[in-house]
Amino acid sequence: MSAALPLARNLRAPRFLALALALALAGAALVVPAVPFTRTGAKLLAVIDITGSMNVRDYARDGRPESRLDRAKAALRRLVAELPCGSRVALGLFTERRPFLLFEPIETCGDFAPLDGTLASLDWRMAWEGDSRVAAGLYRAIDMAAGLGTDLVFVTDGQESPPLPGGEPPAFEGKPGAVRGLIVGAGGYALSPIPRYDDRGREKGFYGEADVPQENRFGPPPADAETREGYNPRNAPFGSAAAQGTEHLSSVREPYLKRLAAATGLAYAHLDGPDDLERPVRAAATPRALPGALDLRPVLGGMALAMVLATLGAGRADALRRRLPRILSPSEKT
Amino acid sequence: MSKHLALFGFALPLALWLLPLALLPLVATGRRRHAVPAVAAAPPDALARWIGATLTLAGVAAIAGLVLGLAEPYRVGERVTRIGIGAQVSMLIDRSGSMNETFAGRQPSGAEESKAAASRRLLAGFVGEREHDLFAVTAFSTAPMLVLPMTDRHEAVRAAIAAIDRPGLDYTNVARGLAMALSQFGTDSGISRALLFISDGAAVIDPRVQDQLRADFAKIRPNLYWLFLRTKGSPSIQDRPEGEDTPQAAPERHLDLFFRSLGIPYRAFEAEGPQAVADAIARIEALERDPIPYTEVRPRRDLTGWAYGLAALGLAVLVLAALAEADMSARRRVERPAEDAPLRRAA
Repeated sequence: MSAALPLARNLRAPRFLALALALALAGAALVVPAVPFTRTGAKLLAVIDITGSMNVRDYARDGRPESRLDRAKAALRRLVAELPCGSRVALGLFTERRPFLLFEPIETCGDFAPLDGTLASLDWRMAWEGDSRVAAGLYRAIDMAAGLGTDLVFVTDGQESPPLPGGEPPAFEGKPGAVRGLIVGAGGYALSPIPRYDDRGREKGFYGEADVPQENRFGPPPADAETREGYNPRNAPFGSAAAQGTEHLSSVREPYLKRLAAATGLAYAHLDGPDDLERPVRAAATPRALPGALDLRPVLGGMALAMVLATLGAGRADALRRRLPRILSPSEKT
Repeated sequence: MSKHLALFGFALPLALWLLPLALLPLVATGRRRHAVPAVAAAPPDALARWIGATLTLAGVAAIAGLVLGLAEPYRVGERVTRIGIGAQVSMLIDRSGSMNETFAGRQPSGAEESKAAASRRLLAGFVGEREHDLFAVTAFSTAPMLVLPMTDRHEAVRAAIAAIDRPGLDYTNVARGLAMALSQFGTDSGISRALLFISDGAAVIDPRVQDQLRADFAKIRPNLYWLFLRTKGSPSIQDRPEGEDTPQAAPERHLDLFFRSLGIPYRAFEAEGPQAVADAIARIEALERDPIPYTEVRPRRDLTGWAYGLAALGLAVLVLAALAEADMSARRRVERPAEDAPLRRAA
């Protein structure tokens, strides 16, 4: 019987060739190693504001209010999960007037679990002081990022506490743009009350107007002081009336943050959804070449699958082709 | 059954939507079709039926294998308990401003190392010495800060330790730091636990918090090591104060007394220089050298190779079949096939 097999013809038949190719591809998928190639990743220092105003619940998740800190944590966790393997992230906390580095850059895939665990357990209770001097903290965070050789992602709502004298931030002394990165504005655009906690960390209502300094009365009085009621150059240089304002309420101080961003050469993005960070961070961060590995198996397997399906399809089409002419027009050649 | 299924997963489960394609070989064939005048004319042939079934099965296996391969199946990681050398080490590190001074109480200059830099250098060597150690890092000054949860990723732990000689914060608030460091131990039982407390000072523990801490220590029962980085000239743990012996007058001594009263294995190491710190760390390492059961987390295993193996097997059968296929049409090209014969699968 074997003598009757048209071996030579079979060897040339497209079906055999397709199947043999599929076999070769599947075999290659079994043995081929991952191909090294270069991808772009990021090396970031994420500094997150954990001051009191970050407890404002002006985000909503699943119909429930969510604090700015929780939203920022969710966004950072998502960002870390989405960064390509080999990217590195360092984490710092901001309160008072300086960032506090928790750890130097950690790889985001292999060491994902501890990184994610730390992000999940960030808490305002880690704050060592109550002040929130955003501009000073930002400048120092830029220095820190420069020292670590990373880009900066600084998440804050921009609320200075105590308020800046004259509303003017201190001047930035570094070189704008030397450190690339992003300021992320957290919070809604409408004013919301700031939760207040007792010394054991239990929430006990909200800050009232008289509970927080509404105006910075250190240093020289502002230019309009003379027109204030009860102004006296020696005894009441800021006027006689108690300062009134909305410092006990909080919204994202976007114009202020944009101004800081422009002064320091950083980009600005507003934090909306929890998956909002990846694109602006990619745009703002320095692309860094990372050794990656490309798994070729899906390509090989996909091609093999296409080959097998093609042979089946060809068989089917063959049958149809033989039948169709008869049905349509028996004389027509196909 | 579902318990066994839960052991497996797919990296790209969407590819599984292609799986119905594996049924195609049941309705279509890749082999040559021949028109025969009457199928009934062929004698019943058990071997032919077997071959046909085998080829169909091979087709199903090839497509299913390829589709499964595309979905990248894996066996999920598992936790295996083994006996090894290692411990859960929760490090509680003082980040108050005084840690940035030298052991002589000065600003570091020249060859002199600050206390933080010395502990950073020596702790970095301690981490990763034994591969089965788990570490957690907690920092504290006025408030405790969770730096890293309990993890076996030594690279990450070293990154956290690398950050400890940066400028410190204000004050030393021991009680809350201890509470957080204790909370870093998981609920796993049967694991040797060590709390490594590194500070250059102590503070009064509020009596109200003391009871809570006592309860936590009694529940978790870690081996407690206090590495006290003593600045030259400052009181030692053993020193009794001149006047009244109150916690306010001698916080170090009273913290030591508090630790002793906990009823857990406890040792204090007083280090007055980098060499003493190194000795203390070496001794802690030696003390934690008992064989202990540890949980090994096996990473998930890629099973994609098996899927491609299955596909290759099916394909090999199909290739052989394609090679060994008879071609009756070659013979019939002379004979002209009957036009109205029903098409059947030749097998």
